[in-house]
Amino acid sequence: MASVTVRNVVKKYGDLQVVHGLNLGIEDGSFVVLLGPSGCGKSTLLRMIAGLEPITAGEVLIAERVVNAVHPKDRNIAMVFQNYALYAHMTVYDNMAFALDLRGTPKDEIKRKVDWAASVLNLGDYLERYPRQLSGGQRQRVAMGRAIVRNPEVFLFDEPLSNLDAKLRVQMRTEIKELHQRLKTTTVYVTHDQIEAMTMADVIVIMRAGVIEQKGAPLDVYDNPANLFVAEFIGSPAMNLIEGVAEAGNGGPAMRTKGGALLPLSSRFKVAPGRKLTLGIRPEHLTIGETGDIATEVSVVEPTGPEIHIYCDFEGKDVCAITRERGSWRHGAKVGLTPDPERMHLFDPESGRALEKA
Amino acid sequence: MEQSFAARTLRDLAAVLIVAIFMFPIFWWSLSSIKPYSAIFNKDGPVYFDFEPTALNYKVTLLGRSRVESALESGGTYGAGGASSYDSRQTILDSTLVAVGSTGLTILLATLAAYALSRMAMRGKQHFIFWILSQRFMPPLAIVIPIMFMFRDMSLLDSRLGLIIAHTLINLPLAVLLLKSFFDDVPKDVDEAAMIDGATRIQTFRRVVLPMVRGGVAATAVLCFIFSWTEFLLSLYLTTSIRTLPVKISTFVTSTGTEWGFITALGTSAIVPSFIFILLVQRHLVRGLTLGSLKE
Repeated sequence: MASVTVRNVVKKYGDLQVVHGLNLGIEDGSFVVLLGPSGCGKSTLLRMIAGLEPITAGEVLIAERVVNAVHPKDRNIAMVFQNYALYAHMTVYDNMAFALDLRGTPKDEIKRKVDWAASVLNLGDYLERYPRQLSGGQRQRVAMGRAIVRNPEVFLFDEPLSNLDAKLRVQMRTEIKELHQRLKTTTVYVTHDQIEAMTMADVIVIMRAGVIEQKGAPLDVYDNPANLFVAEFIGSPAMNLIEGVAEAGNGGPAMRTKGGALLPLSSRFKVAPGRKLTLGIRPEHLTIGETGDIATEVSVVEPTGPEIHIYCDFEGKDVCAITRERGSWRHGAKVGLTPDPERMHLFDPESGRALEKA
Repeated sequence: MEQSFAARTLRDLAAVLIVAIFMFPIFWWSLSSIKPYSAIFNKDGPVYFDFEPTALNYKVTLLGRSRVESALESGGTYGAGGASSYDSRQTILDSTLVAVGSTGLTILLATLAAYALSRMAMRGKQHFIFWILSQRFMPPLAIVIPIMFMFRDMSLLDSRLGLIIAHTLINLPLAVLLLKSFFDDVPKDVDEAAMIDGATRIQTFRRVVLPMVRGGVAATAVLCFIFSWTEFLLSLYLTTSIRTLPVKISTFVTSTGTEWGFITALGTSAIVPSFIFILLVQRHLVRGLTLGSLKE
């Protein structure tokens, strides 16, 4: 096990700079998820840690040792790829034994380790099969088995679940998390799926366009997004964003929307009247009723089972509210939405940064 | 959609007909090889099955018997022909050595080159690949004389090694391009996984990627073998005493007549080694060898 440190790392392809001086400390034994839309540089960062991609500038340290010039095979890492990258001409056993065999491990020790990995991953019955004879989930487990037999210091996962169907993905998510709790190996996991990130991570790192937008514990990031990008990116359905101007209301600060609705703000926000604001409110913090601060009409109703997502039209934009009440919401019905002032987020529309609460 | 009986029958009939058309020359060739002289040169038209089969042609070409001796033994007649040797045992050996040698050398060089072209970044790679292909644009006739002079200076004329090198030169461009496309089908992730597992580049090539493209290697080897086995021009110019089968067979057209019996016998025999070679590699010629490596 080892810590991973990324210091001022820059990646350029020719003149195109895709990673802009990243700094990231990954603690020994932690499960860190790199999350971001495609093209944000998360996979590139992972591949630089793995040694598959040269680093243009900066340093990557594994276990306090600078590894910029160290070949992947000497970094003591293991990686699981999105498309598994199994050796098709080898049996499951040989796939897992390959790395040990290359290191000249004695045969009986290889057998012991592969058997151990197979029992951890429930692959015991499939050792003599070829990858083509396995299902998607089993192949993914072989890819993981190949990684764990070597007892590496760091696990790297590059979107390992995105090729699996939805049900299997949920199952494998739990399995990977259990595996981490059992082995306690430092793990860096890349995904664009925020549910995966939220459920598995100790620390989420949200990236966009080659920079880190926010880093923190999953719920911390969810509850206190640092900027508009993170606010919109994390959460499904996404956070509702309403633009307006601050006003001194009757009982405290308030915001006047473009369409003229007045929304009371939490008194913990200190905003000068006249300041332009973007208000963020998560769908679950909007109460839907017959009347409310926002008078609107229901446009779409999406029952998911545990809850109902109700999309309403407000000043030309969709606003989503989530309720657990079983009501008879219908398209076109007149409703009122009331945001919970204590769960509001305010952002500066220019910089996108979140405004501090007092 | 379920096909009607008539449509199925018609389709099968068409298939049989096409196969028959393509097989007929081979059939006629092998049939002629067991015909006595009188049946090959029948003035009343082609003879199909109305003849006494004879092994004379094979005895002469494959066992090195004298033609007169064999003919007298079987009590048949024999045709014209000078004193040239029809014993082709050495020719078959030479042809086999050259074809196997050049195929082996081509595959050895082409797999390495194709892997490098498929995996490694290189300035002007597309131009380089086109240049490789352009070597095939040239008709061999255009280069056979220069090659002859070069081979003379290097003492490669009239040697098996020289012919192996010449055939390898002709086969390389196509083999490299063909194999590159097979290597391109193996995802780079597999190489990277192997490298993280601790393999060097050459171990990755030998133990992981090459076994995954063995179907492609087999197909390429078949093409190279058949080319070398049937190549005429280079063999004719670059050798004098060592003769490959096509050149040897061409000497059966003599000033005093064409030895159809010997030509057909040796031609029929010449099918056998390439047939055996294809049989040997065909178990690798299965599709979907990389199946299971990836999520399809």
